[in-house]
Amino acid sequence: MLEADGLHVGYGDAPALWDISLTVGDGELVAVVGPNGAGKTTLINAIARLLPIRRGRLRLDGVDVTRATPQEVCQRGVAIIPEGRRLFGGMTVEENLEIGCYRRAARRARSESLDRVYAVFPILRERHRQLAGSLSGGQQQMLAIGRALMARPRLLLVDEPSLGLAPAVVDQVFEVVQAIHRDGVSILLIEQNAAKALEIAGRAYVLEGGRVVSEGRPGELLTQSHIREAYLGGGA
Amino acid sequence: MPSLTLLGQSLVSGLFIGGLYGLLGLGLGLSWGLLRLINLSHFALVLLGAYLTYQLAGTAGMNPFLTPLLIVPGFFLLGVVLQWAFDFFRVNEFSSLLVTFGITVVIESVIQWVWTADFRRLETPYATLSVRAGPLFLPVTEMVMLLVATALSLLTWAWLRFTWVGKGMRASVEDPDIAAAFGVSPRRLALLLSGVGAAYAGVAGTFVALVYTLAPSQIYGWIGVVFAVVILGGLGNPLGPLVAGIGIGISESLTMAVAEPSWAPLVSFTLLILVLVLRPDRI
Repeated sequence: MLEADGLHVGYGDAPALWDISLTVGDGELVAVVGPNGAGKTTLINAIARLLPIRRGRLRLDGVDVTRATPQEVCQRGVAIIPEGRRLFGGMTVEENLEIGCYRRAARRARSESLDRVYAVFPILRERHRQLAGSLSGGQQQMLAIGRALMARPRLLLVDEPSLGLAPAVVDQVFEVVQAIHRDGVSILLIEQNAAKALEIAGRAYVLEGGRVVSEGRPGELLTQSHIREAYLGGGA
Repeated sequence: MPSLTLLGQSLVSGLFIGGLYGLLGLGLGLSWGLLRLINLSHFALVLLGAYLTYQLAGTAGMNPFLTPLLIVPGFFLLGVVLQWAFDFFRVNEFSSLLVTFGITVVIESVIQWVWTADFRRLETPYATLSVRAGPLFLPVTEMVMLLVATALSLLTWAWLRFTWVGKGMRASVEDPDIAAAFGVSPRRLALLLSGVGAAYAGVAGTFVALVYTLAPSQIYGWIGVVFAVVILGGLGNPLGPLVAGIGIGISESLTMAVAEPSWAPLVSFTLLILVLVLRPDRI
């Protein structure tokens, strides 16, 4: 589905990611964990083509998208749940969802997708005419997930979905991400909460200081003591 | 104290000139609010549209109300080209003031070169046509101007509110990156919006030619009051300028009737300053 090969990404003159290679297979749930400032969000934004890629290759279904526009990546079935939600706060809940299905292939399924999202998050149906900016944090995260689902994605980029949410809501969010995965969507999950992410991921990469320092199955990663210490709070 | 008839007549003319303010503010406010470009050349385009109407209707003998059929498509293209250039040269909100002032001066010079700086007046039978309502006279052209301003404001509102393009436009104003990640093309929508804004300038120009005597310097006559209209009405809000325009138009003409004509600008600028002091977040 997604192949990154030796990606270098930078803001201005300062490189933020060095030589990142990772893959997400069809129907896989892959996690990228790492501390704050490791470049996790930069990675997601580069894959969504919101940041220029300096060097390396990015492929979607074998097609080179290293120089593609965000719109082209979107047309190929990639949707994003960005860090901090980034909803269109001055637009209604339903309008936010509609932007989710803006791409042509998704527009035709608008009402069907709406029903599906409202079935998963009934609170969004209740508030569909309310401004997105007036929702609570948890509801905003649901809307951000719903917006991405409206795009009928084949690959979902999920960036720090648990950030700033109450523990009960975090559990709910992770359950929804797993449910989306079970429906056959490939997922690249970026998460600071490594314990949670490794619980549901099939494979994971550890990102530190802009480089991939480790990769493998969660079970294998957890046997490496420095990863346990760094991300799971010592000798767990 | 002036008579009731005079007050009533002032109210009517304030209402109608409010329609013009609304029409002028609609285009300016759209590009300011949604593209973050303060397009001073909007006023130059209005005058250019007015002179073209003068030419087509006065010299070529076209019905002036049909001239928008030719002017609107041309101005739409002009708006698209301008926006393309703004985008190409990465013009931002502040530099847009300077750049579009330059374009304004160029258009003014072109107008002066073609039509000279002399006053021009489009003589049509519509100019003096009016309907009597009791003691009041309602000039037909200005009534049509108010109707057109209202119709365009409502259409623009519906366009932004209900269509895919309109929703995409509002989304890209709030967060262009995320909008792009969902397939919206902010740059293409900006071309469209700029084209529409210029087309509105063309429509406004036709009415300016029908109602006013034309001179190139008239470009600068409306800038102050229309800025007040746009800021009072709320940037990017398609209904705001019309409402604010009518409010300012009526208060101006009542001031003229009760006090002195020269006091009229005092009203709009006092309102503008009050809004800027009390609600600075409106810009």
